[in-house]
Amino acid sequence: MSIYGPYEDALNQILAGVEDRLREWNDHQLAMHRPKLYEHLIGRVKTPASMTEKCRRKGYPVTTAAALRQCRDAVGIWLVCNFISDINRCVALLEQADWCTVVQKKDYITNAKPNGYRSYHLILDVAAPYQDVDGRRPGRFYVEVQLRTIAMDSWASLEHEIKYKHHVADPERISKELKRCADQLASCDVQMQTIRQLVQEGETDE
Amino acid sequence: MKILLAEDEAQLARVLTMAMTTSGYQVDAVDNGQKVLDLAAANAYDVMILDIMMPVKSGLDALRELRDRGDRTYVIMLTAMAEEDDRVTGLDAGADDYLTKPFSLKELLARLRSLERRTTSYDDQELAFADLRLDSGEQVLESHNSISLSREETRMLQYLIHNAGKELAAADLLQRVWAGDQDADEEDVWINISYLRHKLQSIQSAVEIVGEKGGPYLLKG
Repeated sequence: MSIYGPYEDALNQILAGVEDRLREWNDHQLAMHRPKLYEHLIGRVKTPASMTEKCRRKGYPVTTAAALRQCRDAVGIWLVCNFISDINRCVALLEQADWCTVVQKKDYITNAKPNGYRSYHLILDVAAPYQDVDGRRPGRFYVEVQLRTIAMDSWASLEHEIKYKHHVADPERISKELKRCADQLASCDVQMQTIRQLVQEGETDE
Repeated sequence: MKILLAEDEAQLARVLTMAMTTSGYQVDAVDNGQKVLDLAAANAYDVMILDIMMPVKSGLDALRELRDRGDRTYVIMLTAMAEEDDRVTGLDAGADDYLTKPFSLKELLARLRSLERRTTSYDDQELAFADLRLDSGEQVLESHNSISLSREETRMLQYLIHNAGKELAAADLLQRVWAGDQDADEEDVWINISYLRHKLQSIQSAVEIVGEKGGPYLLKG
């Protein structure tokens, strides 16, 4: 049996359930003639092998309890948005939702990591009609949601690709270039946001 | 700094070359205007010091040709005391400064130091204001976070920081940032003010640009 014990099926059900709710939100916004909330939605249950590796790396026991309680990213969803303001709209909706509680927020957009990484991380506590690892039913499950713009997402892909290369010639220079690139992409994101706002202000003036 | 000196009085040229070399400058010395044009076409200079009266081609003619072909190097003319017209003609022909002969070596060296300060430390310097650091060379703005700036945003913010707390008219910003660009107008000023505002926000700076569309604008720390 995998590190998720008897809960692996529940995790997949929860992922699908949260994805459905997010898609509904997006459809609702479009029906109201508002801009879409996000451009791409990607979800996954972390593979048992990666979760086992993560528990070892973090010094946790390799147990189902550690995988579902100490680690809170067994279920992960990435929302890739067009504009920074769309990220804020998504965060506001998640905070108001009655089917989940936001238990942690990490805003790496206004507080970018030193290497240039930008993203907004939320941990949701989702109630679901399955027994959880503490024996409760309905059970409580953690879902990690990461929100970022398309530019931040591309940057993260590049950074991830480079991080796992074994032989990078002159890594300091590459880090410096990645940081510079992150600042330039942030500049574009802010610029697009500003243009959008200027146009909206122009419309209300008429 | 690399200096091109054109002076046909051999004794004076020797003394000037010696003094400037001792001060740590690289000096190429020539004795007529044509050689100025030849050397300026081949090398990059930070300053040219040109005597007016020289054989083959005068300093004034050399200066005009330099400017005609787009050379913007800083030029100091050496003029005779009596000739006010020379000084006016020289400045109008594109000179940046002049010294009247006989001049003191101390004064020439002081002017070169002053120029050096302006070109190196005032231009590419890292500016600090309140919780902001502006690296104009890298075009990066830092506070809690960092973000890249465009050339226009960098120049505008430099000007705002240098004049923090003063009301600046949109026309002044336009002149300062887009000098000579016929296509730019006050709408460009407003758009770039808007960019800077959002960028200040995104790096969580407490610094604010105060002012409505149309200006005036004021930087508040």
